[in-house]
Amino acid sequence: MSVLTPSSPEELAALLGGAASQRQSVALGGRCSKRRMAGAVAPSDLTISTSAMDRVLVYEPQDLTISVQSGMPWCRLASTLADNRQMIPLDPPFFAEATVGGVVAANTSGPRRRLYGTARDFVIGMQFASLEGKLVQSGGMVVKNVAGLDMAKLLIGSFGTLAAIAVVNFKTVPMPPRERTFLLSFHSAPEAVKARDRILAGALQPAALDLLNPAAASRVEQQGWVLALDVGGNAAVLERYARELRNVGRWTALDEPEHSSFWQQVRDFTPRFLESHPEGAVVRLSTTLSQLREVVEAMPAPALARAGSGVCYGYFTDAAAASAWLAQAGKRSWKAIMEFAPENRAHLELWPQPGNDLETFERIKRLFDPHGLVNRGRLYNRI
Amino acid sequence: MLPAEAKEKLVRRMGPRGYLDRPEDLKLYEYDGSVDKALPDLVVFPRSTEDVVAIVRIAAEYGVPVTGRGAGTGLSGGSIPRLGGVVVGFSRMNRILEIDLENERAVVEPGVVNLDLTLAVQDRSYFYAPDPSSQKACTIGGNVAENAGGPHTLAYGVTTNHVLGLEAVLPDGSVIWTGGKEPDLPGYDLTGLLTGSEGTMALITKAVVRLMRQPEMVKTCLAIYESPEDAGRTVTEITARNITPVALEMLDGVMLRMVEEATHAGYPMDAGAVLLIELEGLREAVEEQVEQIREACAACRAREFRVARTAGERDLLWKGRKNAFGAIGRVSPTFYVQDGVVPRTKIAPTLRFIGEVSSKYGLTISNIFHAGDGNMHPIILFDARKPGDLDKARRAGEEILEYCIQAGGSITGEHGVGMEKNEMMSRLFSEETLDAIRALKDVFDPGNLFNPGKVLPTGKGCLEIRQPALTAAGPVY
Ligand SMILES: Cc1cc2nc3c(=O)[nH]c(=O)nc-3n(C[C@H](O)[C@H](O)[C@H](O)COP(=O)(O)OP(=O)(O)OC[C@H]3O[C@@H](n4cnc5c(N)ncnc54)[C@H](O)[C@@H]3O)c2cc1C
Repeated sequence: MSVLTPSSPEELAALLGGAASQRQSVALGGRCSKRRMAGAVAPSDLTISTSAMDRVLVYEPQDLTISVQSGMPWCRLASTLADNRQMIPLDPPFFAEATVGGVVAANTSGPRRRLYGTARDFVIGMQFASLEGKLVQSGGMVVKNVAGLDMAKLLIGSFGTLAAIAVVNFKTVPMPPRERTFLLSFHSAPEAVKARDRILAGALQPAALDLLNPAAASRVEQQGWVLALDVGGNAAVLERYARELRNVGRWTALDEPEHSSFWQQVRDFTPRFLESHPEGAVVRLSTTLSQLREVVEAMPAPALARAGSGVCYGYFTDAAAASAWLAQAGKRSWKAIMEFAPENRAHLELWPQPGNDLETFERIKRLFDPHGLVNRGRLYNRI
Repeated sequence: MLPAEAKEKLVRRMGPRGYLDRPEDLKLYEYDGSVDKALPDLVVFPRSTEDVVAIVRIAAEYGVPVTGRGAGTGLSGGSIPRLGGVVVGFSRMNRILEIDLENERAVVEPGVVNLDLTLAVQDRSYFYAPDPSSQKACTIGGNVAENAGGPHTLAYGVTTNHVLGLEAVLPDGSVIWTGGKEPDLPGYDLTGLLTGSEGTMALITKAVVRLMRQPEMVKTCLAIYESPEDAGRTVTEITARNITPVALEMLDGVMLRMVEEATHAGYPMDAGAVLLIELEGLREAVEEQVEQIREACAACRAREFRVARTAGERDLLWKGRKNAFGAIGRVSPTFYVQDGVVPRTKIAPTLRFIGEVSSKYGLTISNIFHAGDGNMHPIILFDARKPGDLDKARRAGEEILEYCIQAGGSITGEHGVGMEKNEMMSRLFSEETLDAIRALKDVFDPGNLFNPGKVLPTGKGCLEIRQPALTAAGPVY
């Protein structure tokens, strides 16, 4: 089956509108780096990829905003910004292959979300192509804007089930003058979590605060229960961290280039795991800071937690075990999904317990896509 | 707009102290902080989500419009019942239901006053970040509906960045929970969609919000300029140096003099403009940034640069900013506040243009605004008793907004579209976009009963109403 690669938002809208008017089903993607994420798209009549729409449209560094087409590789966006010492610190997995549209549509994020937030905190505007073949605008190019509904929020995390993201406008932030990693290993989860609590209760504001269980730590050349902090600031600030963290334990500090290579391993944890485990699955738990300890302790597999945000990822070598674990988690009222699964996964329950807003999701889906043509099943086999 | 039978049902449900219907009482609910007016037929004061559901069900049964109201401080006519009907006042749903510091969350009812939330947690070193200048009065429900901002949202983000979950009553009376205390729940981000929807799609009955830890150090600086344009240029000079203040507010000379006379905050009476700049964070970072900011201001010809030495000095500087509206009231009986946004690099030319509009219409326009994010607040002074003055003020405002659109900005940064700027939406957005907004609203509110006549232009199709005649201007804060 051929892949259509429109080179402009207008062309994207025309293709999508044309397909929909003939009731052709469409698989929509960027560079398809996240094929195993969420639900698999049901077999479709045609595939549209945004990969040829890869331009920067507007970048005025002093405005701290940038507008790019959705097919631009995330790594290229990052390096464009880095040239001006700016960043959009989402640190998504599949950093090198993912497109901007894919990162936003899948709402992927990484360690520094503790301080900086996720896609919903960075997207200030968006243009998307509807199945009616129209280009719709949400927001704009200014950092504060409440004109009209914030439709971009709907598209973030929608996995292409509503419309095709054509252009994304972001706010950017200055890079900290320096960054440093602090690592500390503990014998048990409670000790590690206690250390986290001490840090969060103080004045220090690390950008990232990840917790790895021993099985996960060994995959990034560490041992035990590991707390990993990413901190940014001037030399005096980093010195202050070093000083105060000593009250918690004997940390190992990493500066460049070890700093970057450590976080790259963390960022690529999921892609690397999937690569070596074709039948493997990754579960994602949304939890609170206080419940996190219980959740990571109960994980019978490598676990990587955003310990300052309340998200925990568990890595299972086979999907059946992940399913069984999800069922257990459901009994404890934990909110969990199977975020990544094997290629063949139509039979799996990826999102076992949706909330009472699912019906509203379905109504919104019917508005955008009344005949269920685009990315069918992609939203965790539910939509 | 309110059939007798519907009214009777509502009155019975609410009980004798749960509603207002006497003309003299209804009068108090016909306006907000903007310049428009429209009378409700009935005002009800629910105490619980169940009350709200009951009200909404009765309204739906009889096709009666429903308009939510927080404190009525809105500046775009959001809480004005444009087509009459029922106003749902949330003043009795004002409980902080849960403070969960361990998880950095609070669960509140919509009628909680913004500042009260921070006051409830500040002794434990936490705060709720969105801080509209009206925070002593405005409510979280109103903030969510408008996606309110404030001086400190430059660094911390606006309301939507701090709202993680909502309980919402939909126009058919059903109740949904969106989001929650936990991050990253799968599905469409309805919390994000409803935040900023101006009460046109759902009534918010609970909100889960983020609480943040207070910074260790705060430094407040005042940079004084001969010309507003130099102050405007400083904003981009600061970003060029990769510094992010938590607040970056500007007052022009006209504003300064009004504020200083009213508050004696210590602002210079003869300056062209001042910037109020605040830095927060770790001591080591803040101290360095103050020096970097001092240099940036000097590079843009600041005449003087002061740093508040004590908490008292700092409060005084902010008092001037936060009480500015009261200060204007001393000078002009009526005024009209605009809320356009431009990219930060366009602040200086925008100020120049506002000056030209002021001369063209012969109206004094003062500026006090969130300069750090390009959110202009030109305040157009006029005399409502003078025939034609309000009209002139409106036209001047529209010209300024038109300019903001041309500069790549927006017609509203935080006050909302409401019934003030809904006709301007078609200049900012294409037909396709307006249709998409309308269709989404329909998914939630097919009968167009929730806050009708807001956000979207009324010119076509679904809403056959005229812009109500404007007789007098609204209250002055
Ligand atoms: C002096 C002054 C300074 C101001 N400064 C700022 C500022 O710095 N930043 C800023 O953003 N705004 C500012 N404002 C505007 C205003 O205070 C905000 O828009 C505020 O969010 C309104 O809150 P409220 O409780 O008064 O809501 P209202 O004015 O009563 O209502 C506003 C909107 O919210 C809707 N609404 C209220 N409650 C609910 C609910 N429970 N569910 C659904 N919809 C609901 C109403 O229908 C209406 O559309 C200022 C206003 C004044 C007068």
